[in-house]
Amino acid sequence: MKLYEYEAKQIFEQFNLKIPKQIAIIESVEDLVDISLEFPIMIKAMVLIGGRGKAGGIKKAETIEETENIIKEMLGLTIHGYPIKKILLEEAVDIASEIYLSITTDPATFDIVLVTSASGGVDIEEVARTKPDEIWKKVLRNNDKSLNAEIGKKAADFLVDKDQNLQLVSEKLQQAIESLYLAFQDAEAKICEINPLIVTKKGDIIVADAKFVLDDNSLYRQTPLLKSIGIDPGSKRHDVSEQTAFEAKAYQIGFPFIDLLENPENFVKDEEKLYVGLVPGGAGYGIFSVDEIVNVGNRYFNGKVVPINFMDSGGGPSISKVADMFHLLMNHPATDLIITSRFGGISSCDVFIQGLIMSLRDRFIAKKIMIPVYGRMVGTDLAAAKAFLEKAKLETPEPLIDLHIVVGNQKIMVDVIKDGIEYGFKVKKQSENMEGIK
Amino acid sequence: MTTDKLAVDQGLLYYLIKHIRPELAQKISEKKTIETMIVGLGRQGTRHAQLMMEYGTNVTCGVAPGKGGTYVHETVPVYESAESAKRKYPDIAVASIWKHYSSAKDATIEAIRSGIPIVVLISEFIPLKDVRDILVEARKHKTILFGGNTPGIIFPPEGIKVGMLPDIFQAQKTDNKTGPKGVTILSRSGAILYHLSDALASAGIAQNGVLGVGGDGAIGSRFIDLVSRIMQYEHTDLVVIAGEIGGMQEELLAQDMEANPEKYPKPLVALISGANAPEGKTMGHAGAVISPGQSYGTYQTKKESLEKAGVTVVNHQRDLIDAVRSKLNRIYFDIEEYYSKMRKKWDARPPVKTWGTLVTNVMPNNLIIRGYPLQEIIAEKGFLETSYLLLKGEFPEEAQLKELEDIAKEAIKQEFADLKSITISSDISKTLGTLMLVDNKLADFVRLNSEETKIAAYTLGRVLKYFAYILGNLDQLESSSVSETSFSEMIYIGLVKEKNPDTLKVKLLEAMITACVDHGITPPSAQATIILASTRANYEVAVAGGLQAITDVHGGAGQKAAKFFLSVVEKAEKEKLELDESTFKLIRETIKTGKRIEGLGHRIHTQDPRRDVLWKLAEDAGYAKSCVDVSKMISSAFHRVRGMNLPINVDGVIAAITADMGLDPKLAKVIFVFGRTAGLAAHYFEEINTQPQMRRIAFDKATYKGPSIREIK
Repeated sequence: MKLYEYEAKQIFEQFNLKIPKQIAIIESVEDLVDISLEFPIMIKAMVLIGGRGKAGGIKKAETIEETENIIKEMLGLTIHGYPIKKILLEEAVDIASEIYLSITTDPATFDIVLVTSASGGVDIEEVARTKPDEIWKKVLRNNDKSLNAEIGKKAADFLVDKDQNLQLVSEKLQQAIESLYLAFQDAEAKICEINPLIVTKKGDIIVADAKFVLDDNSLYRQTPLLKSIGIDPGSKRHDVSEQTAFEAKAYQIGFPFIDLLENPENFVKDEEKLYVGLVPGGAGYGIFSVDEIVNVGNRYFNGKVVPINFMDSGGGPSISKVADMFHLLMNHPATDLIITSRFGGISSCDVFIQGLIMSLRDRFIAKKIMIPVYGRMVGTDLAAAKAFLEKAKLETPEPLIDLHIVVGNQKIMVDVIKDGIEYGFKVKKQSENMEGIK
Repeated sequence: MTTDKLAVDQGLLYYLIKHIRPELAQKISEKKTIETMIVGLGRQGTRHAQLMMEYGTNVTCGVAPGKGGTYVHETVPVYESAESAKRKYPDIAVASIWKHYSSAKDATIEAIRSGIPIVVLISEFIPLKDVRDILVEARKHKTILFGGNTPGIIFPPEGIKVGMLPDIFQAQKTDNKTGPKGVTILSRSGAILYHLSDALASAGIAQNGVLGVGGDGAIGSRFIDLVSRIMQYEHTDLVVIAGEIGGMQEELLAQDMEANPEKYPKPLVALISGANAPEGKTMGHAGAVISPGQSYGTYQTKKESLEKAGVTVVNHQRDLIDAVRSKLNRIYFDIEEYYSKMRKKWDARPPVKTWGTLVTNVMPNNLIIRGYPLQEIIAEKGFLETSYLLLKGEFPEEAQLKELEDIAKEAIKQEFADLKSITISSDISKTLGTLMLVDNKLADFVRLNSEETKIAAYTLGRVLKYFAYILGNLDQLESSSVSETSFSEMIYIGLVKEKNPDTLKVKLLEAMITACVDHGITPPSAQATIILASTRANYEVAVAGGLQAITDVHGGAGQKAAKFFLSVVEKAEKEKLELDESTFKLIRETIKTGKRIEGLGHRIHTQDPRRDVLWKLAEDAGYAKSCVDVSKMISSAFHRVRGMNLPINVDGVIAAITADMGLDPKLAKVIFVFGRTAGLAAHYFEEINTQPQMRRIAFDKATYKGPSIREIK
């Protein structure tokens, strides 16, 4: 989970790193009324997506008029498609030196990596490319609770070596590095990045900008930390944005779901196209099935097929959770067809088909929208699942009239997808004709 | 399920083990089996332990703190820690971890530290910091760690799977013989693995190993750690990797392939998922997220770097089939045969859920206790030895038997303050159960002792004391000298009152008791005890419940039968009839009054296995007299009356012998109840040690899982 800058700074402060005075978080110009300001101040857009500096999301203001204008302008901005809704006002600090300092996870070995550079305040990737000597990097293989003092000292020495002005604050730098390490380990971060870490003319070391990504898997045991920075431990967000309504609903029920369409809550369909919802099984096949829908659409249906979601329906869900997966997609304004695949490994075909049929029966009785379901089931408990499906079709044929499940693996999934899409177009055409007659 | 399997030391799993633990590989090669261990026996771990065994995996033991000393699926022993399991099974080569993410770290590190070379970490959502601790340990011990968040690993030619993969993978088959060749698949995702091998199987491409490397962001073994090594395995013809967005595993592999092509002698096909994934949104797998602004981790970066290294990259099932087929240009098995095998599987009826008992195998005309025919036990072994056998599966050593004997005698000597305040009912079982429930000494002994055989021995001593009280023999029993009287003699004194009885009588009485020890899980008394045990009722409550279920209808026929035999003999003498004539007449008269003839017929046996041995022992001891004669002719006499074949049962035989010994007919039932106490104790402990609490018990779905049939040495 990625934190907003002001949240990250609160954590850093808890670990004895100095931050600029936080004045307020505001959501409109009117919020300024109750706030007394000492200029200059920094005005910063609170978005999760990176690159806000270049997009005009960080400004300095000297007067109240300037402040108001900047805020008005900023609240109308979007950064990479994500609108700015919150703005941080903080004290502006003077700058003697700017340092880059980060503790992150090595994507290759998953070890902890400490990186620092005396050339802070700019794009570090750029520095790495053009002036690699300016970067000091250490991979820490032992996952120690605190940073070995020697390593902290070496990092500080490197900085002093590159910028003689830092000589006087060398010990403070070492402390800051060790504090950042503690914050990374105690808060169970994936990424802790300070860019820049500012050394003021007085010799204070201040976190001017902060990036903090928490490990989603450890959030369950970080409740006190989350609460201390004002985050509801039961909520969830992406690395780039807050959740859509459907994503939030799925999260609440307890399965991963991602909207692939923009603005899904008020989606306007292109009538030429077939929108396919997916209940695909595990996460990996969830990702792959999105590709398969696009591939099949491009190869056989002139690119007129649009997948609407990613879903991880694997991992042994309960019957009611399976039902909720289908309800969610049938309540989604875009869905024309649902394609589903159950390759029972840990999760059982039997539970899957019972959940699916439960959702169809419930919707039929409650007179809710019914969407055709096309798919295949194979694997654990298939025999019981097949028996259940056959019995259900005999007992309640009406709700199951548009349920088409291939039992067994005589047809590979991509061919089932192709058949399903063909069927989806056929049903769509029929219902259009019906509309025409009306 | 495969009848013909590849020898384990020809397979890929062995190859991987050998690389890091050559000495262990040597042992595997000698033993011809790869031992595995399952850590974490929650719902999933327990269920998949069974599915693994059904597939053919050798699951030697389980590890679950708090469950040490119990069994999973009745036969797989469970240990408190990986270390203690490893002490008992030093050759375990693979461990699978099924713990919740909050406790997965400690369990995994424990398994790694015990020296097991291959660890399969099924658990998902493990905190990154914990994963790093695990990785530090794995590096130290050179462990090959699969996962976290792996569906496991499966080796179709050897028929070994560790994990939850469904049985859909296909080995090389030529003329019905399993071969080691094929492609090896590695995947970050479980479900993709299934779809992938599904696609390959449809083109006749065999898989010699299917390895889930794990879907989490940080995992044990990456593609770069495994692919090269697997390509060195002679029977792998091609490697398929299934990668996805997020992380840089695929890029790392590509870089290494480009830099060191000699390490990669076989073709590689990569299926990469996530061509249409949005940035910055984690897609189910913690590892599957495109981080904005990074130079790796996207579909494009993976595809480009792999293609640069000469790898064919696909994103579509049909393309995968085409790519693999064109590189191999062969098939490994008959596709139609594969589908017919699969169809059979899919068309099968849902399997019936069975459960197991290891105590007694009840077959028509045979009772096998822990592998030994009961008639042989009756002839060769004493009651205490048999009660030990019921619990432990083996007979005790001499010293152990001596200890049990001392405990049983001590139980007799220890006081029972309230004993005489209990009213003696005409229902012996009822009185006996009541005494057991109010006996504080017994309750204390059960609470303070963990050894089940000692508890059983103590119980038998106490039950003898209760009987002596019920039968009015308490003074004689309590006054017998512990040092000079054996437990067998004490039984005689307690039940019969006679001091210094002759050895033949003592032995004969004990043999009859031993004959009644158990009848598996079929009788209502055992079922009552098992049901009580499943609620985790106290030991003495469960055993008393079983004992009290022994009534006139079940197990209590002996008393009436003994009286009947005596009446036959009396009638013969009075009316000067031959015994068979007298038997016939009395049966006819009894039936006319609407009464039953007791001691005849059995639900399961047409010839009770305990019959002949008891008759013979009675004869050897000189107590096969008129009543025993009657018991031998009663079936044919009954046939004469009713035209039905009803065999004499064990109650009938015991009744006849006790009558001929001149004992109180009441003793026929006492013998039965006393003997059965040992069996009930065994069923109590088996239930609590091998079954989940409050399970639904289908008694007709039990199967015997103990030793087959063996001889007493």
